[in-house]
Amino acid sequence: MKKENVSCKDVMSHICDSLGEDLNSPKCINIKDHLENCPNCQKYFDSVDSTIKFYKKYNVELDNDGHERLLSVLGLKDE
Amino acid sequence: MIQTSNGISEEQLIENAINGDRASLAQLVKNYEQTVYNFSFKICRNKERAEHTMQETFLSMVKSLKQFSGNSKLSTWLYTIVSNHCLMLARSQKKYDYVNLENDEGLIDDKNVVDWKYSPEKLAENSELKNLLDEAIEKLPHDYRVVFLLRDVEGLSTNETAEIVNLSVPAIKSRLHRARAFLRNELDKKLHV
Repeated sequence: MKKENVSCKDVMSHICDSLGEDLNSPKCINIKDHLENCPNCQKYFDSVDSTIKFYKKYNVELDNDGHERLLSVLGLKDE
Repeated sequence: MIQTSNGISEEQLIENAINGDRASLAQLVKNYEQTVYNFSFKICRNKERAEHTMQETFLSMVKSLKQFSGNSKLSTWLYTIVSNHCLMLARSQKKYDYVNLENDEGLIDDKNVVDWKYSPEKLAENSELKNLLDEAIEKLPHDYRVVFLLRDVEGLSTNETAEIVNLSVPAIKSRLHRARAFLRNELDKKLHV
């Protein structure tokens, strides 16, 4: 397979495009090769990945009072 | 088919609820209240507004359950109601100081990429970090915010996200790309070592 030269900017853009997607196309293989050998792009990848994880971990719980208020609004308190 | 904890399928619960069974309706509400509240909070970034949105969402569900065709999942339908309600709320508040992401030039700077001083594991104990996450995502226009939350945070597919926000798949991909790059840059300003 012919190797295509990719720049750091290409790789970073691709990370934002395709994180979580299937990465088996020839272009993606070149991107992965670059990523494995470029500390700068690895840091960028980690920071995008962390951004998503930060927002995934930031959750709130509905407390019992909120649950009761909801059932009351819906007229389902006795159910 | 989705089975609930008491062994009755979701489809059956919906049918029972449409036929006036209040216990089935209450069970549907209980099954989804945490998901709806949490997703509402993630869009609104405010607990009071999240609770209001959750209540309005379930009121809409109760009113329109007969119209639920079953062609899509109930969860997808609820995400749609939450997204639309939050959009109306945002418009009524006339707060339009969102960042403009129509042009993505400059969103990616390949120089000076550095490590971050906090990992996501540190989030629970750091309220300053939570404020930073709130402030960053509040700058995103509504449709970018919802796409990022549905696709990356809630883990829905690109097609499901497109159905909920009524945009094409390429439009979803473009918004997701820009939202990820923008949020990453906002966090980077405060988190770089």
